[in-house]
Amino acid sequence: MCGILAVLGCSDWSQAKRARILACSRRLKHRGPDWSGLYQHEGNFLAQQRLAVVSPLSGDQPLFNEDRTVVVVANGEIYNHKNVRKQFTGTHNFSTGSDCEVIIPLYEKYGENFVDMLDGVFAFVLYDTRDRTYVAARDAIGVNPLYIGWGSDGSVWIASEMKALNEDCVRFEIFPPGHLYSSAGGGFRRWYTPHWFQEQVPRMPYQPLVLREAFEKAVIKRLMTDVPFGVLLSGGLDSSLVASVTKRHLVETEAAEKFGTELHSFVVGLEGSPDLKAAREVADYLGTIHHEFHFTVQDGIDAIEEVIYHDETYDVTTIRASTPMFLMARKIKSLGVKMVLSGEGSDELLGGYLYFHFAPNKEEFHRETCRKVKALHQYDCLRANKATSAWGLEVRVPFLDKEFINVAMGMDPEWKMYDKNLGRIEKWVMRKAFDDDEHPYLPKHILYRQKEQFSDGVGYNWIDGLKSFTEQQVTDEMMNNAAQMFPYNTPVNKEAYYYRMIFERLFPQDSARETVPWGPSIACSTPAAIEWVEQWKASNDPSGRFISSHDSAATDHTGGKPAVANGGGHGAANGTVNGKDVAVAIAV
Amino acid sequence: MCGILAVLGVAEVSLAKRSRIIELSRRLRHRGPDWSGLHCHEDCYLAHQRLAIIDPTSGDQPLYNEDKTVVVTVNGEIYNHEELKAKLKTHEFQTGSDCEVIAHLYEEYGEEFVDMLDGMFSFVLLDTRDKSFIAARDAIGICPLYMGWGLDGSVWFSSEMKALSDDCERFITFPPGHLYSSKTGGLRRWYNPPWFSETVPSTPYNALFLREMFEKAVIKRLMTDVPFGVLLSGGLDSSLVASVASRHLNETKVDRQWGNKLHTFCIGLKGSPDLKAAREVADYLSTVHHEFHFTVQEGIDALEEVIYHIETYDVTTIRASTPMFLMSRKIKSLGVKMVISGEGSDEIFGGYLYFHKAPNKKEFHEETCRKIKALHLYDCLRANKATSAWGVEARVPFLDKSFISVAMDIDPEWKMIKRDLGRIEKWVIRNAFDDDERPYLPKHILYRQKEQFSDGVGYSWIDGLKDHASQHVSDSMMMNAGFVYPENTPTTKEGYYYRMIFEKFFPKPAARSTVPGGPSVACSTAKAVEWDASWSKNLDPSGRAALGVHDAAYEDTAGKTPASADPVSDKGLRPAIGESLGTPVASATAV
Repeated sequence: MCGILAVLGCSDWSQAKRARILACSRRLKHRGPDWSGLYQHEGNFLAQQRLAVVSPLSGDQPLFNEDRTVVVVANGEIYNHKNVRKQFTGTHNFSTGSDCEVIIPLYEKYGENFVDMLDGVFAFVLYDTRDRTYVAARDAIGVNPLYIGWGSDGSVWIASEMKALNEDCVRFEIFPPGHLYSSAGGGFRRWYTPHWFQEQVPRMPYQPLVLREAFEKAVIKRLMTDVPFGVLLSGGLDSSLVASVTKRHLVETEAAEKFGTELHSFVVGLEGSPDLKAAREVADYLGTIHHEFHFTVQDGIDAIEEVIYHDETYDVTTIRASTPMFLMARKIKSLGVKMVLSGEGSDELLGGYLYFHFAPNKEEFHRETCRKVKALHQYDCLRANKATSAWGLEVRVPFLDKEFINVAMGMDPEWKMYDKNLGRIEKWVMRKAFDDDEHPYLPKHILYRQKEQFSDGVGYNWIDGLKSFTEQQVTDEMMNNAAQMFPYNTPVNKEAYYYRMIFERLFPQDSARETVPWGPSIACSTPAAIEWVEQWKASNDPSGRFISSHDSAATDHTGGKPAVANGGGHGAANGTVNGKDVAVAIAV
Repeated sequence: MCGILAVLGVAEVSLAKRSRIIELSRRLRHRGPDWSGLHCHEDCYLAHQRLAIIDPTSGDQPLYNEDKTVVVTVNGEIYNHEELKAKLKTHEFQTGSDCEVIAHLYEEYGEEFVDMLDGMFSFVLLDTRDKSFIAARDAIGICPLYMGWGLDGSVWFSSEMKALSDDCERFITFPPGHLYSSKTGGLRRWYNPPWFSETVPSTPYNALFLREMFEKAVIKRLMTDVPFGVLLSGGLDSSLVASVASRHLNETKVDRQWGNKLHTFCIGLKGSPDLKAAREVADYLSTVHHEFHFTVQEGIDALEEVIYHIETYDVTTIRASTPMFLMSRKIKSLGVKMVISGEGSDEIFGGYLYFHKAPNKKEFHEETCRKIKALHLYDCLRANKATSAWGVEARVPFLDKSFISVAMDIDPEWKMIKRDLGRIEKWVIRNAFDDDERPYLPKHILYRQKEQFSDGVGYSWIDGLKDHASQHVSDSMMMNAGFVYPENTPTTKEGYYYRMIFEKFFPKPAARSTVPGGPSVACSTAKAVEWDASWSKNLDPSGRAALGVHDAAYEDTAGKTPASADPVSDKGLRPAIGESLGTPVASATAV
C-alpha cells in the first residue's frame, strides 16, 4: 500500500502551493511510511508516500519513463509485471525493480487502453508532460481506495484517502472502481467490463477442480514479496483456506528463500473468544507460527476515533469490524511484518452471508452477489485496506483476484444456493472444491464447520460494550433531533449517532458524508435484498441477530440429515446467527 | 524509544478528559508505533506509546508492581536490569521488560533507587497508595522529557513538547540527572558524579582502560530482541562503534532474521565524501552496508517536519537533523528498530575544531563539562528525535555512565591538541584503539582527520538551505526581526526561516524558551567564543568561521616533524582546511 496524491492544473505554482501539497500528502504517511516523493511540472504535482514491499530499495516513486516525459504515482501491486517486462525486453529500459513501473511502457505503447492488461490491485495517476494530459485509474473491484475532487481554481485532485483532499476541494467523490478518468476524454469511462457485470444469470456448471485451481493461483500470485509477510486467520473457512494454500505453496516462492518456510498467522479477539480457539486449531493443523492478540473493550473504545479517521466512514458495521482489525494490524506491524493475506470477498462472491438463505430464486441470488461485489469498495475493501494501511501494513485479498472472480461469477448460481436436502450449506462450492481425501487442505470438521456459537459473556462483549458506551455519550434529546442535525443518512440509533458525531468533526464537508453508502441493511445485505422478507424492513439493527433463520434451520434439521455431525441443530443454527454477527465485528 | 505522557492531579476527571489525554498521547505515536496504553487512577493519568525492542510481545505498558499499586510509564533502556532483578528476589516480575525493575526498586528503596539504574531513561512513577509520584530523567538527558503545569493545578510530564504544549500554561525542559518528587514538591539532582563540579582531574591517561570501558559500553547496548544496525559516517566515532560492535556481535542474542552480519547505514548527497569514507570502513569490517542518498530538494521538503519533530529552531540542529531524519525513515523501512550511534565523543574529548584554541587545560576541561551538560539540548535532542520520528531507537555508547566517569576523569592535558607530540583531536581515544596485533581499524582511518569536501557536493546542503531561506525571508523581515522575535532574535535569514516555522507549531513563550541561545561558533558554547576575539565578529555556527585555525596549524607544522609521513606542505594545508570545512557538513549529514 502506498499513499498517492495528484493535483493537476493548479493556477498557482508557488512555493506555498508546493508546501501545501506536501502537507496534504503527509496525511497519507501511514500508508507509506518508507519514503516520500513530490514531482512538479508547472501547475501539476504528483506526490507519493511509499510502502516498500517489492524492490524496497529501488522502487521509490514517482516513476518515470526513460526521458522523464511520463510520470506515474501508483498505489498497488501488479502481479503480472514480470511477464509484461518480458514483452518490453530490448524496447524499454526499466530503471527500478518496482512492479508498478510496467504502467509506463504499456501506456507509451497502447495509450489509455492498457489498463485491462494489468493483473493486480492498483490506483494510479499518470501524467504525460508532452501534451499535459493525465490518466487516473482504479482496479476492477476497488481493492485500493481512490478519491477524486475539484478545487475552486479548476484543479483536479486525486488521492488515496479523503483526508488528503477534503479541505482543498470544493467537491469530491469516490473514484469508481474499474474506471479510468482521462483529461483528454474529459471524464470517466469504465475499463473493466467482465461478463458478470451485466448480472445475467450464468449457466456454466460448477467444476470443483477449476475453482480450486483458480483460487490456488490467486494465492500464489500474491506471495510475490520482498518483505516479511503472514496471513490473517480467524479460523473461519475463508481465512483457513488462504492459510492452507499459502502454507502448501510457500516453499516454491522467492519469499521462502528470503524469510524461511515458516508461515506466520495472526488472529485477534477478546480474551477467551471462540475465534481465538478456532484459529489456534487451524494453525496447529497447518503448523504455522501463530500469533494470538487480545484486545479489551476499553482498548477498542479508546481507538474508535482513530478508526473513524482512518477508515473515513460512519457506517456502524464497518466501524465495529474495523476496530479489532485496526488494533491487530498495529501489533502485526510491530513484529516487522509489512504484508498480510486475508480472506475478504468470499462471502460476496459465493453468497456466504446468512440472509442469502432467503433468496427466493437463483436469479435473485446471483443479482445480490453482483450487487455485493460491486459495492465491496465501500465496505469490506475499504475496511480491510484502511484498517491495515493505518499502520503501514498491506493486505492482499486472493478471493478478489480478477481471474478467480471470473470463474466464481461465471458459475450457474444454482450450485451456490443453500440446499439442505443435498447437504449444501453456505459456500458449499468452495468447501467441496477443497475437499480432498488424498491431500487434505483442512480437516473435514473445519472445512465444513459453520461458525461456532459465541457465549454471550465474551463474544458479544465487543458489540454490547459499544452499545453501552454510546448510550452514555448520546442523550435522548440528541436522538430526538437527529434528523435535523444529520438530514442526510440520519443515524437511527445512539451508536450510529456517536460515530456520526465523530465523523462530522473530522470530515465536515457535504462531499465527505456522501461518500458513505446508506439505505436499509440487515446482516450485511444490500437495500434490495431487504425486500426478500417483509419483517426485515421494520428492523434498524444492521447486525445479524434479528434474523430468525435459526427456527427454520432447527425445523430443517429435525426433518432431514444435517450436513455436518454437529450436535444439536438448534445450537448450530443459533451459532450461525450469532457467529456471523460477531465474526464480522472481530475479524473476517 | 517510547513516548510517555503523564498528567497528575487533574481537576476534572471525565471521559472527555480521558479522550483528550489519549489524543495528546497520540502525538507521540511516532516514538512508539507498536502499542498504546493508558492507566487512570482517580485524577492521575499515565499514558504510553511503546516501541517494542526488549520482549516485544509482553512488555506493554504501563508497568506495574505485583498488586498494581505502583504504576510506571517509561521511555528508555535499563542495561543492568538483569543484575538489578537478581537483587529483587522477593519480587515477582510480570513481563520481560527491562524497565519493570523500576517499579520494584521503588518499592524496595523509595526514591533513592534512581542512581542504581544504568541506562537511558525518562519515567513517571505513580504510587497509588499515597497518591505520590516521581519523575526522573537519565544522567545526560539522552531521553527527552518535558514538564508542565496546567491552569487546574495539574502537573504534566511528556517525552516531547507537542503532547503538552497546548494544555499547559507553562512548561520547561526537564533537567537531566534530576528527579521531581511530588512529596518534596520540587526538582533535585540524583546524578552527582565528581566531574560535575568541573574541578580539573589529575588521573593519568590509561589507554587500555579507556578501550575496555568503551567496549563494555558498546556490548551493553547490543541487548535487543529486534533487528539493529550502526550509523556509520566514516568518521572516527562511528567507525569505532561499528568496529567494536562487529567484533562482539557473535556474543549477543540477535534476532535470527538478521544473521551474524552487522548492518551499517550512511546518508549523504550523492558523491559526498562521507559516503566514500563509510564504504571504506564498512568494507574493512565486512558489514552489510546500506548507503542512502538524499537531494537538497528532499531535505528542504522535509524541513517543516524536522522542526515539528525535533522541536527546535536552532540552525545547527536543524541542518544536522534533516539528513538523519531522512535516513531514519529508510532504516525503519528495512525493518530495523534500533541503531547505535557515535554522539558524545566530541564533547567528552574536545573533538570540535575550536578546542584547538583552548588556552589551558583548565579551560579545556571546563568547556568539555559545559558541552556534556548541554548535550540534552543539542546532539542528544537531535539524535533522539530525528530517529524517534520514525520509531527507531538510537543508542549512544559514548554517553555510557561508566564510560563518561572514566573519560571525564582523565587529566585533560592528555586531551589537548599538541601537534609537536603528534596529538590531533581525540588522540586519547584513537591511541586507545591503536592495536597492531588485532587492529580495530586501519591506521589511516584511525588517525584520519575529516576529508575535504568539494564545494559542489558537500556544501550543496548548507548552501541550498541558505538559498532557500533567502527566497522566503525578505530584507524587511530581517530588519524587524528584533521586534517580531525579541527572545533569541534570529540573526540570519536561515535562522529567521526556521523560527517562523517553529512559532507556527509551538507558539507559546514557554516553547521558544526551551531552545538554547547565545553566541556560538563551530559548535562552541557562548563561553568559548571568548577564546578568540575574531570569532565574536563572525557568528556563523558552522565550522567555516574557524578558518583561522588552518593558518596557525600551517605555521606550527612548518618547523616541525609531522606525525605522519605525509609531505609537509600537504599536511600543513589539507588537514587544516579539512578540519574547518569538513565539520559542518559531516554534522549535517550523519554523525
